[in-house]
Amino acid sequence: MDTDQNIILEVKNLKQYFPIYKALLQQLVGHIKAVDGVSFFVRENEVLGLVGESGCGKTTVGRSILRLYDPTDGEVWYRNRAGERINITRLSQKAMKPLRREMRMIFQDPFSSLNPRRTVKEIIGEPLIIHQVARGKAMEERVAELMTAVGLDPNYMERYPHEFSGGQRQRIGIARTLSLSPRLIIADEPVSALDVSVQAQVLNLLQQLKDDLGLSLIFIAHDVSVVEHVSDRIAVMYVGKIVELARTEELLWHPLHPYTEALVSAIPPADPDIHLERVTLGGEVPSPANPPSGCIFHPRCRFVRYLCSREEPVLREIKPGHFVSCHFATELTLRGIGGTA
Amino acid sequence: MNKSSVSPRVVPIEAAELKAEEHESYLNLVWRKFRKSRIAIFGGLIVVALAVLAIYSDFFSPYDPVRLNMRYGYIPPHRVHFVDAEGKFHFRPFVYNWVQVLDENMFAHWVEDTNQKYEIQFFVQNWQYKFLGLFPGRLHLYGAADGGLIYLLGTDKFGRDIFGRCARAGRISLSMSLFGTFISVAVGSVLGVVSGYYGGRFDNLMQRFVEFVQSFPQLPLWMALAAVIPPTWDQMTVFIAMSVIFALLSWTLLAREVRGKVLALRETDFVLAAREMGASDARIIFYHLYPNTLSHTIVVLTLTIPSIILAESFLSFLGIGIQEPLVSWGVMMREAQTIQTLGFNLWIIAPVFFIFLAVLGFNFLGDGLRDAADPYTIV
Repeated sequence: MDTDQNIILEVKNLKQYFPIYKALLQQLVGHIKAVDGVSFFVRENEVLGLVGESGCGKTTVGRSILRLYDPTDGEVWYRNRAGERINITRLSQKAMKPLRREMRMIFQDPFSSLNPRRTVKEIIGEPLIIHQVARGKAMEERVAELMTAVGLDPNYMERYPHEFSGGQRQRIGIARTLSLSPRLIIADEPVSALDVSVQAQVLNLLQQLKDDLGLSLIFIAHDVSVVEHVSDRIAVMYVGKIVELARTEELLWHPLHPYTEALVSAIPPADPDIHLERVTLGGEVPSPANPPSGCIFHPRCRFVRYLCSREEPVLREIKPGHFVSCHFATELTLRGIGGTA
Repeated sequence: MNKSSVSPRVVPIEAAELKAEEHESYLNLVWRKFRKSRIAIFGGLIVVALAVLAIYSDFFSPYDPVRLNMRYGYIPPHRVHFVDAEGKFHFRPFVYNWVQVLDENMFAHWVEDTNQKYEIQFFVQNWQYKFLGLFPGRLHLYGAADGGLIYLLGTDKFGRDIFGRCARAGRISLSMSLFGTFISVAVGSVLGVVSGYYGGRFDNLMQRFVEFVQSFPQLPLWMALAAVIPPTWDQMTVFIAMSVIFALLSWTLLAREVRGKVLALRETDFVLAAREMGASDARIIFYHLYPNTLSHTIVVLTLTIPSIILAESFLSFLGIGIQEPLVSWGVMMREAQTIQTLGFNLWIIAPVFFIFLAVLGFNFLGDGLRDAADPYTIV
């Protein structure tokens, strides 16, 4: 799998801990284990969905990959345009800069991710300036090109973000991300802050851009129904760990982890007359500063057994391309999206 | 169910969906909000009026503010009349000459001599001045006809027209406070942004330094520093030195405010986006953070100016700093130090009202700007 020429990004056992300092003397009292040993890979021109509830660490994964934080442990291997595999976890920020042209991020909040004091042209063109790709007229032309690609009228490039709606601002953000022709995009909940009808527009735009430009995409979201629409494969995260990873259809119709089952059962079916029994989880989401022993899901799992609290399961391949982190994955009968196992 | 069968065509946004009205920049938004505050407009007008008076002071003063006229010392302000002693109305305003009359106790009173009437003429040719030090001119806004005297605010001990001197004094008072404020704002905003952005030990040290500076007693420090200025320095250097002295203690306010704003801005997504695309620290500080702190800077700027006006007036009143022949409102106040002088010649206190107007004007302006400068916040 390491030498698979198609893989553009490979994350191995990524850990991101944040230290907790206690008041007066600022002593280290513990760590928030936001990301606790996450491993996956992304192929070229593939969309990997990363789902989980708020606080499960999916945003942190995205930021750690892009070196907005310095990872506590683990490796992130990126295959650049020339085909070289580079471990970007230990690169200096200076060495990281040229790679930032190829790996970009789309941010969640369209209202705070654009500088309110800069025109759209300056916002979208900033990467071009920073990486000294284009200036002046050439930059303007490139910005016009990008705006057209995301469905905005280039005549509005002298306007300010506050003059646009949420969906349009998200498009501006996407245009900014595309400005240097990246190969890998990490989309951090790009549609969560938008109305449902606008969500559909932006999702379609992302899909079209991915097809047209051959992008690889890591799509982070908390809404499974959004992710299923765009993703080829889906990874489910819970309290800093990946509990299941499979192709989209496989994951939705035949989940093998009880948490995935609960997530999938919460997707409302398109037909209001269909009433499916929801799998509800008891208990609370544990704090990442103090995760449970053994399997992190065991306090809330309805199939829990003694082994679950003692030994942490590893993410292993149960079926071809279908990874699960559960001791009893082969024995459980779980309901998928159709209501059947 | 997963891959939608709908073709992923992108529909371009219709032009009508964007605002139909004219393109509004940040400045437009600020101006629109500013216009609504009547007090702010009022303050702004006062400031503009004082500025015009100061810049074109020679045009507004009928007499040379520097020339001594011992014969005309301590003349009270002339009263402007439209109706003469017989009750006749004149279109053109006029003034009566003041004469001193001794009463039975040998007390001198000023009385208007209704036989000597001087009409006020507008746009007269009078003494020569140099506008901006370059262009000679003789035009003045008003003057008395037939060699009469017109002192709208009276004269001081040396017979100099107080109104003209107040106008001229505005130059030093306003420009020194502007210059000092500019230094203070430049230093304070940069230090504040850098301190807030880097945080950690540097920020800690910076804030302790700010607190150290803030605990200095202002007046003694100013007095000490001003007293150290050598009398041999030329006027320009003294001016700059005084401005720096005032700026020395006032930059801390802006540094604190800007640091606070930057601490909040640091966590926003657009700063994160700038880091994500590889922006250098310098770029993030000056291109992204700094413009977003401008609202605070503008407000503190308009509120620092009056404080320096007051400080300068106070020091000049005490005789420290600005010396003759330079004139500021504070320097003019020096003559009003004894109770006898003040008792007999109350008009020499006129500069106080100019100071008052300036401070009031800038404060109103600053208040209005504070509300208008952040058009995005609802509170």
